[in-house]
Amino acid sequence: MRPQPLKIVIVGGGTAGWMTAAAFAAVLPAQQRDIRLIESSEIGIVGVGEATLPHIRFFNRRIGIDEPELMAHTQATFKLGIEFVNWARVGDSYIHPFGAYGSKMAGVPFHHYWLRARGEGSDASIEDYSLPIVASRLNRFALPSDDPTSVMSTFGYAFQFDASLYAKYLRGFAEQRGVQRTDAKIVDVTLRAADGGVESVKLDNGEVVDGHLFIDCSGFRGLLIEQALKTGYDEWTRWLPCDRAMAVPCENSGPLTPYTRATAREAGWQWRIPLQHRMGNGYVYSSNFISDDEAAAKLLSRLDGKPLADPRPLRFTAGRRRKTWNRNVVAIGLAGGFLEPLESTSIYLIQIAITTLLDYLTGNEGATGQFDPRIVEAYNRWIEMEYDRVRDFLILHYHATERDDAEIWNYCRTMDVPDSLKHKMELFRRRARVVTYKDGLFLEPSWLAVYFGQRVMPTAWDPLADAMDAAEMQRQLQSVREQVQSTAVRMSTHEEFLAKYCPATPPSMGARA
Amino acid sequence: MTATVTRVVVVGGGAVAWIAAAGLRRAFRKRGVDVLVVDTGMPADAPVARWTLPSQRAMHGLLGIPEPELLRRTGATFKLATEHVGWQGEGSHFFHAHGDIGTDLAGTPFYKFLVQQALNGQPESPENYSLAAVAARLGRFARPMGDEKALTSSFTYGFHLDEAAYVSSLAAHAAQLGVRRVTAPLVAVSRLPGGEVESLQLANGESVAGELFLDCSGAESLLMKQLGEEERDDWSAWLPCDRMISARAPAIPQLPPFTRTVAADAGWCWRLPLARTSAAGYVYSSAFASDDTALRHLQSAVPGLEAPGRVVLLASGRRRRFWEKNCIALGAAAMQLEPLAGAELHFAQLGLGTLIELFPLDVSGAIEGAEFNRVMAEHADSLRDFTIAHYRVGRARPGDFWTAARAAPPPQRLADRLDLYQASGRINLHDFETFEEVDWAWLLLGAGVIPAALELQIRARVENVTPQQVAPLRAHIDGLAASMPRHSEYVQRSNA
Repeated sequence: MRPQPLKIVIVGGGTAGWMTAAAFAAVLPAQQRDIRLIESSEIGIVGVGEATLPHIRFFNRRIGIDEPELMAHTQATFKLGIEFVNWARVGDSYIHPFGAYGSKMAGVPFHHYWLRARGEGSDASIEDYSLPIVASRLNRFALPSDDPTSVMSTFGYAFQFDASLYAKYLRGFAEQRGVQRTDAKIVDVTLRAADGGVESVKLDNGEVVDGHLFIDCSGFRGLLIEQALKTGYDEWTRWLPCDRAMAVPCENSGPLTPYTRATAREAGWQWRIPLQHRMGNGYVYSSNFISDDEAAAKLLSRLDGKPLADPRPLRFTAGRRRKTWNRNVVAIGLAGGFLEPLESTSIYLIQIAITTLLDYLTGNEGATGQFDPRIVEAYNRWIEMEYDRVRDFLILHYHATERDDAEIWNYCRTMDVPDSLKHKMELFRRRARVVTYKDGLFLEPSWLAVYFGQRVMPTAWDPLADAMDAAEMQRQLQSVREQVQSTAVRMSTHEEFLAKYCPATPPSMGARA
Repeated sequence: MTATVTRVVVVGGGAVAWIAAAGLRRAFRKRGVDVLVVDTGMPADAPVARWTLPSQRAMHGLLGIPEPELLRRTGATFKLATEHVGWQGEGSHFFHAHGDIGTDLAGTPFYKFLVQQALNGQPESPENYSLAAVAARLGRFARPMGDEKALTSSFTYGFHLDEAAYVSSLAAHAAQLGVRRVTAPLVAVSRLPGGEVESLQLANGESVAGELFLDCSGAESLLMKQLGEEERDDWSAWLPCDRMISARAPAIPQLPPFTRTVAADAGWCWRLPLARTSAAGYVYSSAFASDDTALRHLQSAVPGLEAPGRVVLLASGRRRRFWEKNCIALGAAAMQLEPLAGAELHFAQLGLGTLIELFPLDVSGAIEGAEFNRVMAEHADSLRDFTIAHYRVGRARPGDFWTAARAAPPPQRLADRLDLYQASGRINLHDFETFEEVDWAWLLLGAGVIPAALELQIRARVENVTPQQVAPLRAHIDGLAASMPRHSEYVQRSNA
């Protein structure tokens, strides 16, 4: 018995919709799938996630996207990390790098030696031991090396790109591979009598589209997952109080930084994402602490260059859908959950939903029209874990602050955080130990960056780090610093590198102004 | 309380005690940490011999014990696999080898190909594609070698150890590292106002003070029980065996390089080879066999069996908190689990490694304790699940005991794992797993569990592979296995 092709209907054509369409079309053999994407050119897309994480490169590789071509089409720049400004105290700055600080010495993680040296009087910053940070501060870039013995292998990179151009690029990619796009609005949803799953959607042109699997990429409202299936949503606003954003592009000025910046503000934080043709900016804030008008005014007064549009408002609630896969509907992107883009996780969470779904499908679903509930549950557990781990990490940014100059910081500094995070912070404060896990985002260097960057300073380090002779330790630390510094200064500037690698055409009519 | 930890007191006298003492001493000698073992003798639950996981090799490395010398001293033999006989009914048997199944096919684990073959109605044993399993069947052994992609390094090995010889060898090594020892039963403990243990009172009148105390005394948990009522997770609903007997037996001709377990009416028997002798045991449920019946069964299964020691009581389960105040339970004092997976010393090693990483900076150690308890609970539950899975996979062996072993619904995380495999052939692992994807594949395929379907993308990669295409791999493995020395000769040479 050959399995029937799986009829997949994707509702919504933003970043999530087109990433899903492109991946499914690239990965599933043509005779095994029939993919339809329904989007309305009348409904704007949120165009979330202009900054990405290194994981996107796995996604690109898996579906066969050519990196320089993608970058040229999306006005992309390289990203080595995120600079956080004013988070623990006004005036502070640190970079969360896509890479490690030094490397283990005598089996003990590097940062314990850094702490010990600091205790013995060294004033070198932890940043001096990270190549992506030093390169970022110098606005330089080079591709990493595969040679594990080279300091050039100690970092990864991601992209900063125009999300609407990304969706457009993926649309071309998906349509070439047989995805059928329909420009229409959905006016009605029919549920199946048997199990309450979605039978079909009715379009404003009168067409009725049925399918085996519906992917809800309709954004915050969750047209299928929530409006039709009433799945429910777990809110996390008590830990992540921001519920609105204002976004505005502006002209570039100054050197193109190979990193994103997130600056803590009076009622939230401001993003700054440099692209080849313009700068993306936004203010993520809590409506409890500032009005929309004031947020817009503050944002406009804090741009690097001339604004290129009016500020665009967004509303959201931090949290996750109770089940992102419910019956035959899988919610991907904002329909599945929302975590503010503080650590550029939006596209990662889309990507992980897509690749996990692809991993779990058996191909028998087309023949039976059913999804094995054992697979659905396993999928939901996995996605939940991903969201929860990102959540804890984001909360840390808000909670680990000494700021008392604004209500939002007073609230976050003193709020009760999840036990899992409390435990992690306590263990770090006590002995610099990072609680790590095998799956999910944010490994040891990420936690170290935020802890150290936000003044969560341990009172002690791993006693095993005391075994090394002091002079030997100093010698090794110095050697790492020198290697990082000399390697960084040999890199070309970010702009030079872009000009060679992936020059974008000047913005056309297609690019969002 | 902020006194630095400089004196560690280890209670116990078996393998776990000496491993822990030697390991801590070696890790913190430079820091001036003094380690004293209060030798309370061999734990009552110690078997006459045991089989270990390959991680014991790393343990020996960590302690600085040269393996050839250890083998010479203790008459140990090598272990490439465990053979499970009769678990899916009379006539059923499969190997769980310490090695790869085949080689990756376009980045896909080879066992997926075997699943696809089974779905096509052509099931085949993973053993044919494993150098370790084929060598085990032929009674041959050599240490892995060559670069990491070579078939000759596609496996690893554990050990069969004579318990008394192994323990005295570990004790001698610990002494060389400067571990001190006092031999006397523990009578009482003195505690500080905060509840931490301050010193131990011994039967010889001595009082032994310390900042950190380890209970490595086995299931009796001589130290922890002084601290009061323990909160425990009881696993007996899933693991009904509550008794163990073991005894020495005559050497097994040709020294098979693997452990064998044989399903029986009230549990399972085991047999392992040692250089000059062998050992056997029966792990059983007292609800289904009396001690006499069990002994008679073992005697009839193993001709020439020596008189066993006393019956060991087994209360399957674990402590909720392994680290309380300044006392830490390791090994069977922390978790009692039947030895099916051979992971007892591995579990002790996990505890030791976690303790070294979280070695308390001072006597308080509350946050370290919380982290230790979190991590070790995960490890313990993972080992529990793998052990329970043996009773629940594949065709059920007939018999009341075997029905009872499957009666209770499995622990949720195990149910989730087995469900996902059965639905899609997918094996998801989480943090803190001792057994890897390939180990689960050995167990599931060995027991004949064929999923309803295979992941679509995986299937696309393996469905066009034909048995003819993988035939050369089989031939290569057969050739390599045949070229290895006989295990008996290899051991003889090692002991020479």
